[in-house]
Amino acid sequence: MLLRKLLRTAWSYKAQFISMIIMMTLGIGIFLGFNMEWKTIEYDVGNFFEQTKYADYRLYSETGFTKDDLEKIASIDGVDAATRYLSVNLEIKGDSKKALALDVSENYTVSQFTLMDGDGYDENGDGIWLSDKFAKLNDIRIGDTLTLEFQGLDISGKVAGLIKSGEHMICLADSNQVMPDFNTFGFAYISPAKLGEIIRERALNTVKDELKKAGVPDEMINEQAEKMLTDEALAEAADKAFLQINLLSALEKSELEDAVKEKLGKTLMVVPKEDHAVYKEAMGEATEGKAMGSILPVLFLAIAILTMVTTMHRISTQEKTQIGVLKALGFKNRTILLHYSFYGLFIGVVGAALGGVLGYFVCKMVMSENGMMGTYFDMPDWSAATPAFCYPIVAGTVLLLALISFLSVRVQLRGTAADALRPYTPKKMKKSVLEKLPFFSGMSFSTKWNLRDLMRHKSRFAMTLVGIVGCMILLVGGLGMRDTMAGFLDLLDNGISHYATKVNIVENAEREKVDKLIADLDGDWESYSGISIDGYTATLDIVCNENGRFRIIDENNKDIDLRDDGVYLCLRLADRAKIGEYIEFSPYGGEEAYRVKVVGYNRSIMTESVTMTDKYADELGIKYSVSAVYTNKDSSEIPSSELISGKQDKRQLMDSFQSFVSIMDSMVFILVVAAVILGIVVLYNLGIMSYVERSRELATLKVLGFRNKKIGQLLISQNIWLTVIGVILGLPAGLGTLYWMLTALAGEYEMKLMLGPLTYSVSILLTFSVSLLVGWMVARKNKKIDMVEALKNTE
Amino acid sequence: MFIEVRDAKKQYGTGEAAVYALEGADLSLEKGKICVILGPSGSGKSTLLNMIGGLDSLDGGEIAVDGQKITGLSKKALTEYRKQSVGFVFQFYNLIPDLTVEENVEVVAEIAEKPLDTDEILKALDIEKYRYRFPRELSGGQQQRVAIARAMVKNPKLLLCDELTGALDTRSSRSVLKFIEKVNTQYGTTTLIITHNEGIAGIADVIVRIRDGKIASCTENDHKLTADELEL
Repeated sequence: MLLRKLLRTAWSYKAQFISMIIMMTLGIGIFLGFNMEWKTIEYDVGNFFEQTKYADYRLYSETGFTKDDLEKIASIDGVDAATRYLSVNLEIKGDSKKALALDVSENYTVSQFTLMDGDGYDENGDGIWLSDKFAKLNDIRIGDTLTLEFQGLDISGKVAGLIKSGEHMICLADSNQVMPDFNTFGFAYISPAKLGEIIRERALNTVKDELKKAGVPDEMINEQAEKMLTDEALAEAADKAFLQINLLSALEKSELEDAVKEKLGKTLMVVPKEDHAVYKEAMGEATEGKAMGSILPVLFLAIAILTMVTTMHRISTQEKTQIGVLKALGFKNRTILLHYSFYGLFIGVVGAALGGVLGYFVCKMVMSENGMMGTYFDMPDWSAATPAFCYPIVAGTVLLLALISFLSVRVQLRGTAADALRPYTPKKMKKSVLEKLPFFSGMSFSTKWNLRDLMRHKSRFAMTLVGIVGCMILLVGGLGMRDTMAGFLDLLDNGISHYATKVNIVENAEREKVDKLIADLDGDWESYSGISIDGYTATLDIVCNENGRFRIIDENNKDIDLRDDGVYLCLRLADRAKIGEYIEFSPYGGEEAYRVKVVGYNRSIMTESVTMTDKYADELGIKYSVSAVYTNKDSSEIPSSELISGKQDKRQLMDSFQSFVSIMDSMVFILVVAAVILGIVVLYNLGIMSYVERSRELATLKVLGFRNKKIGQLLISQNIWLTVIGVILGLPAGLGTLYWMLTALAGEYEMKLMLGPLTYSVSILLTFSVSLLVGWMVARKNKKIDMVEALKNTE
Repeated sequence: MFIEVRDAKKQYGTGEAAVYALEGADLSLEKGKICVILGPSGSGKSTLLNMIGGLDSLDGGEIAVDGQKITGLSKKALTEYRKQSVGFVFQFYNLIPDLTVEENVEVVAEIAEKPLDTDEILKALDIEKYRYRFPRELSGGQQQRVAIARAMVKNPKLLLCDELTGALDTRSSRSVLKFIEKVNTQYGTTTLIITHNEGIAGIADVIVRIRDGKIASCTENDHKLTADELEL
């Protein structure tokens, strides 16, 4: 019987029940969705890395690794597997705008791939195992012949299989690229046997060139070159090709560094997976998910719970007489409490069930092949994992709602049955400070009425503000993120980069040849390499930008005229030293350490870097090689060369941001929709409560001859006041949240908070629109108020 | 006649649940009189008052007040009618809790075309000293006097009182009725009081009895008493 009463009561308070269920659904859904997202990243990525034996460490050497080096490293206690590894970016022959990272894992115990279609790995195979996404987007099928250009050589082979690889799970050409673009850049594996053939051919060509230079007649060159190409020479060429060793090991970085130094007698650049771009970015996404999961869902959940507290209190006061009747009829307090606790439990259970479904879809919207992360991560399996702590939190929230109902009703049950039967009397209110002010008496009656109503119902007032502020935070945060991203891209496109093509230079290229290339291209150049500053990994950026192909800018985006007597720290490293102080760094792979003076700070939007001029680098005696040349020539005008490892159009780079922008647009859309739903649900729920509480007064006004329009204005004006206060509080709160999101979520880029006037206008207008819409929806009810019924109720 | 009610019919609900609140009620009342309508619960007296006050509409018949036919008026016109011509006093006062005594009266003065002076009406009802208090700080009788002041400040042609002493003790009831007498005399306002308290009928010029939705009797009161003389 009481269950029937519960359902009927729920129906009579349907606006409140539905809005509380929506709030719970949103709260739990977003809480679960965001937490499932990061957990699924950790779970799926972890599985994929394990499946493809993603390397725990990468060792780099500028001179390459010999087989003997590999054996020594493999023999270190704690190293489970090791392989010489090659990964080099190569252009597709005949299409300079498309390139692949070509990988070889010599003994294929580490850094493997997962076969999606075709033939499996064969260490002696002649084929090419190609990224399935690249193949699909470029209409390449198994059995097609693919030709790549490698330092003047053609590498050609049939596509043997279509694959995915942990090493290229986030497939980026270099650190300048933000989002994978499989239209233009993918990856492929070849066998060590095929690499051996290529090395042999290249070595043979080198010998032939030398013979030609020495004046050997053409007809004798081939024969003599074959004779001169000894096994030792071939082995040496292979050693130079493998600049990297990938290994599996549970050792600490310092332990491995010490062991490597002991075995090889030199310090190498040891990069743990945590510092490798793919792992770092993937785990960065999980961390960002965790950060997002700790703020937004908590905001929604907190608002849901607070709304529940306010609403249940109101419902229980309106139900006071019924509670009194049940008590007078002989129902035990425990039975009545249990009955009303079911209200909260009912809302909690329905909200949690719907929230679970919503959470799954939120997670899938992000973490699925066709979801937001589908364009970022290239992996075969997409699941949905829930962190264990979510279950007790959801269960606890449901129980908390039941407890809120329980406590709200317990207050009404205090005293005798007669006490409970008496209608609820609002607490007496003392005159507020505001009323004592001289101008108060001069205010219109509606202003006074609304002000006193707000003072009397502080919790409703506070909750409405929380709803409006929450709405503003989401709008400013979402739209501001878009503005900031647009500003970032504009700075990158028009502010910093004044080149048409970035030409990547192969490692260990002869400087003279590179200088000639720079001159031919009329370009500027930079050299970037890894350095350690007190154990912290950063990038040393040696630049020469005499032609202004790229700019070095300060925090106000003004050009810096680089000095030749010190270094510039990027703003993210600014807390390491003040201007005028010294820092010490050592390049990876070397023993040297350099103590340099900090002469300024610069905005390095993509990398955490220490920047200096080439003159200063030469003065310090730093060994470096040119990494990239920036030119105004179109990539199609630049002929292939053994010096060039790849070319990247600026347009192509900027286009690669488009998918990133699309993801961001989807997120902004979700935030805006969430803001509007949050605003409407919270404001409507509280508006209806306010309306119900004041219905007798509103009916009286109607009886006294007030028009519906005038009464509607009275209701809407309160909403407008609260919206004004909410907007004033919400703007800085939104900016603060956005700032936090930029530092916590986009720490890898140096983004500057930027909000356009349109964002401010749209955020404010949308918040006001939501408020006015809800005010209008509530005010409309006034037309239907039954004056006779409303005035019949006893006080 | 100031008030003319002809064959008023009103039904609430349908089918078996239908309740006939008015079943062809007829009533005529002269201007400036005090009329007390007596009847048991459910007899239709509140419905009749609501119809005359323009709070509800008839299913059949017609009502005219001061020559103005109010049946068939639009909602807007009814609002205007209530605003200019009718003052209401309810059993449970229905004052606006967040406005002071003075503000409760002024709020109506603000919308009235030719309101009386607020100070004057507060003085007339002897509540001037409570003008800055909130309703909850007053006794029931004092609150009802504020309600009368609020009803009278617009200087209505018609004052409608629904069980105005129903929530009051004898002393407060007598005090409130004295003020009803006073405003009737001072402003000449036609006053309709509905009650189930026979004792109040003594102050009426006309006593109407209603039963089962019909006017059972309508008689001139030949032994009109003052509020002080009433046996409540």
